[in-house]
Amino acid sequence: MKRTLDAAGMSLLAILLLGMPLWMNLVQLNVSLGTSLLLFGLAAASVNILVGYTGFMAFGNAAFFGVGAYGSALFSHYILPDNMIVATLVGALTGTLSALILAPFLIRRRGIYFALLTVAFGQVYYFLAYRWSNVTGGEDGFSISRPHLFGPSGIPMEGAAYYYYVLVIFVAVMAFLWFLVRSPFGLSLRAISQNEIRVRYLAINSDHMIFKALVISGMVAGIAGSLYSMSINFAYPLLMDWHQSGDFVMMTILGGAGTLWGPFLGAIIYTLAANVLSSKTETWQIIIGALFVVCVLFFPKGILGFLSRPATAAEDIDATARVRTEHAIEGERA
Amino acid sequence: MERLIPEIVNGIVLGAFYAIIAIGLSLIMNLTGTVNLAHGSFLTLAGYLAFVLLQRGTNFWLALGISAILTVFVGLAVERTLISPLYKRIPLYSLLLTFGLALIAEEVFRLIWGPQSVPFSTPSSLQGATIIGDTVLPTYRLAIMAVLALVMLLLLLFLYRTRQGLRLRGAVLNREMMAALGINTQVLYMMNFGIGIFLAAVAGVLASGLIGLSPTMGNGLLMPAFITVVIGGMGSLAGCLVGGLLLGVGQSVTTLYAPAASEIVTYVLMAVVLLIRPRGLFGEEGLFG
Repeated sequence: MKRTLDAAGMSLLAILLLGMPLWMNLVQLNVSLGTSLLLFGLAAASVNILVGYTGFMAFGNAAFFGVGAYGSALFSHYILPDNMIVATLVGALTGTLSALILAPFLIRRRGIYFALLTVAFGQVYYFLAYRWSNVTGGEDGFSISRPHLFGPSGIPMEGAAYYYYVLVIFVAVMAFLWFLVRSPFGLSLRAISQNEIRVRYLAINSDHMIFKALVISGMVAGIAGSLYSMSINFAYPLLMDWHQSGDFVMMTILGGAGTLWGPFLGAIIYTLAANVLSSKTETWQIIIGALFVVCVLFFPKGILGFLSRPATAAEDIDATARVRTEHAIEGERA
Repeated sequence: MERLIPEIVNGIVLGAFYAIIAIGLSLIMNLTGTVNLAHGSFLTLAGYLAFVLLQRGTNFWLALGISAILTVFVGLAVERTLISPLYKRIPLYSLLLTFGLALIAEEVFRLIWGPQSVPFSTPSSLQGATIIGDTVLPTYRLAIMAVLALVMLLLLLFLYRTRQGLRLRGAVLNREMMAALGINTQVLYMMNFGIGIFLAAVAGVLASGLIGLSPTMGNGLLMPAFITVVIGGMGSLAGCLVGGLLLGVGQSVTTLYAPAASEIVTYVLMAVVLLIRPRGLFGEEGLFG
């Protein structure tokens, strides 16, 4: 039964995504909105690797996203103009590098200390982009023209063409994540989120695992950021701000952290809500803030988590057990 | 030299702000594991409340006191209704909740008092300059230093010389044991949160007179306060004080020599401290890893 439902859901999703440029046209939306949905979905998926699977409070993924955005924007401007594939690869690479640089500061930290450090170090990139204005354009941002697929004589990437390019990468990354969470590595990440001490007793170096998770998360966020800057033809410092990171975490929680498709669902709902609300009322931030509060208080497992199994008192006990484990780890280190 | 000394005094004032905000954050973090991202909103709220009172001709010091107390009441209401249900969950949820609250608060301030900064006037007795030796220092900054020092002294007296303070310190070490000893930990959580908000409120009113009052005023001070906690080390109030002063003086002196680098220096300081001492200057081994 569950298998049939899953298959039906996946086919529906595939049809919706493949036909996006068509039906978005029918409901009078721009296809660039569809592209944004996919990319915020990827950004939320990058958060999900840390928050959902590993149980680490990553509050700085917008930094990786932004570095990816600036990476491909600056690369297309200064080094090799007009080649989308190479620009995307550079975005992925710079995203990975940005996480590699931070990882040594972060991997030994747990709980709220980890959260604090991701916020604080994420801001480093923000201020770099903000202050290094003769290269990055500073506060005004940095505009680019969207490259062709394989260099100047290649295929132009307007509208639907660009959407399908993003869709291909989106599917590839999601497939990669699907394999990742089922691999031994993915299992040990989930084990870390449940009981890190036991994982250490199993002779698994959890710091090592977290290092890898951070770098993979940085890469996925970098890809998303790179494609986003080419989608809006623009990169600006606020992309890296910790408020953006908070939005990504919220998308993840809203859809259901620790599930493969939850973050994408959260990204869709969040982005559509923000889009509709900001066009209707100037005080949309209040409604988004209230959405945060309601979701945290009443739907902590997110929409997919809420649908797949009803929240019970046992869930709360489970969470307490987790907090206890954290304390125990502290005790062990003391 | 004659330019350096005023900058150092500026730095100490700025650092005292960072320190007192960081101490509030740190108290809340240590006891309940709540990273209060709405802390900046309480600074701004206190600023606006004082602004309203000052407009009606209230004495500055009275306005400071009243707005701080009102802000504490708002804080306690928020803690009881929204944050305390999350104490038994992993800290991610309170982080997100307070993030949402900060979004709401900023927009509400903008709705009521407008997006631009409002004219926040300090009393005439605090304007002008005081001359100490050969250096001319703004009186208001000296007053800020005095008030913040007094507040910190009171906090220390409370924590180390009263029974309730002892209980608070005990609960930070082991809340289950405190509960087992028959102490109502919920009351402790509430009191602790209230103290944190009080510190934020005092800093908020004083900062409004110094850097101007706008809906984003408090959030601008929040990030340096977080970094202060990281530099000083989690779980240490002395660390917050030293970290804050280090950060404030570091920023002001850099502003004098290389204005563009004044924000980056914050992060450079943090990275250097963490490389040399991963748990922060005064951080306790083991606490929060």
